[in-house]
Amino acid sequence: MNLENVKRRSQVIKRIRAFFDDQGFLEMHTPRLVALPGQEPHLDPLWTEVHSPSLQATSYKLQAGLITSPEYAMKRLLAEGLDKIYDLGSCFRDGEPWDGTHDPEFLLLEWYRRDAGLEELMKDTEEMIRYVASSLLITHYSLLSQPFRRLTVSEAMKQYANVDLEPLLDDREALAQVVIEHGQTVQPTDTWDDLFFKIFLSEVEPSLGWNDDRTAFQPTFLYNYPASMAALARKDSKDQRFALRTELYIGDLELANGFAELADPVEQRKRFQEERELRRSLGKNTWPLDERFLKALPSMGNAAGMAFGVDRLVMLLAGASSINDVIPFSAREKFVPEEE
Amino acid sequence: MASTSEIKKGIVIQDPQGLWLVVEFQHVNPGKGAAFVRTRIKNLQTGKVLEVTYKTSESITIVEVEHRRMQYLYHDATGYTFMDNASYEQVTMSDEEVGDQGQYLRDGMEVNVSTFEGRPIALELPRKMTFKITQTMPAVAGNTASGNVTKEATLEGGIKIQVPIFIKEGEEVIVNTETGEYVERA
Repeated sequence: MNLENVKRRSQVIKRIRAFFDDQGFLEMHTPRLVALPGQEPHLDPLWTEVHSPSLQATSYKLQAGLITSPEYAMKRLLAEGLDKIYDLGSCFRDGEPWDGTHDPEFLLLEWYRRDAGLEELMKDTEEMIRYVASSLLITHYSLLSQPFRRLTVSEAMKQYANVDLEPLLDDREALAQVVIEHGQTVQPTDTWDDLFFKIFLSEVEPSLGWNDDRTAFQPTFLYNYPASMAALARKDSKDQRFALRTELYIGDLELANGFAELADPVEQRKRFQEERELRRSLGKNTWPLDERFLKALPSMGNAAGMAFGVDRLVMLLAGASSINDVIPFSAREKFVPEEE
Repeated sequence: MASTSEIKKGIVIQDPQGLWLVVEFQHVNPGKGAAFVRTRIKNLQTGKVLEVTYKTSESITIVEVEHRRMQYLYHDATGYTFMDNASYEQVTMSDEEVGDQGQYLRDGMEVNVSTFEGRPIALELPRKMTFKITQTMPAVAGNTASGNVTKEATLEGGIKIQVPIFIKEGEEVIVNTETGEYVERA
């Protein structure tokens, strides 16, 4: 922990709230403790139990989980009729590396708008970061001086890895061949997404948040992901092979992930079931689908929502190389025995 | 067969192209995606460097390397020479093989040298080392408003690092040899 950075984190949180309040967003305080947390195959909730005499029929106890994001509650609130809402609070993810960019308890900001798409999300994100950075009296020239870059996933794969993605979208074998040509390994069990990530993570992602000679940040929105990589997003009406998802990269950090949100309960149920199957095939536990969430979905309208890592923004603005320096008492400080 | 979750700096992977030393590695979970290990690996025969991303469930072959405690003797045109204090055997690593780690070496200090088939392939320094500040600017009053302001300092041996402004010439500081960053006052 670095006390100066912890103080700065407090200022950043205040400025984020001020930005969204000024823009007419309403802050929600959604539950941290839920019966059915998100079922994304590669996220693992932390589990606990709730006990109460009111639960007699089920021997006084029920399984409960901590949220990995406030997404389900936020979408249900949209479905109840709210518009322009945000939530800023701790979320919990188990099983991630404590590598300086992750902590099992981290501050997640999410905001949602009805009748909106990726364009509005990118604009909100860019304006919010400028607002926070400019008010902190820290000079971050590259955050403030230029518009954030926008690149589709296809453009980024072409620019950084010289791969034409579109002909490979439905062709795992052809992609596997390209992956081998790029010096990577291919396993029979690798899915299309796995193969994509082998090239993307080695050749594309490390460059996205930097200018060409890596001397300054170049904030970059990556958008329009292959449809399989966006379980909660609407598909692009102009090209159904892509989904309306965006991520923001600055320097070496991935700061935000947003969707034009899927509101079709039939399609959503299908994707949830596929995800649950994938969890099962990975040997992970599964739990029932959230029927209340699915029932509310059609009333949500064409909403868009962004999830934003607040601790990582603080790292960026404070010039801290590790999340452990910006949060008071990180997992490493809590759970790892002190070094001699 | 081993799992890619065992990948760390300094291990050697064998594949049909030969033997590869892991120079850098990082666990990555791309936006709700599966878990991967992003690596930079160096071929021990050709010196070729590749960036390879493995899935964490993938099987790889890790070959056994020997870890030997050695004493650093001297640096000359051929590189850095170390001696095994038990067998008195000496090995030399080139400047290129030692890289940035060379700046932290001090005559007589003990380090871990990994060897493969008798040949030194990687060097492991103590993670934290203490150095004396030989030169730095005095703190300027009133320059503390925006938090942890740093300044450049030169350490014995000529290493330059960023230190907090309250650090003075002649003080001893602890440096993280993996990141090259200031840790605390000694």
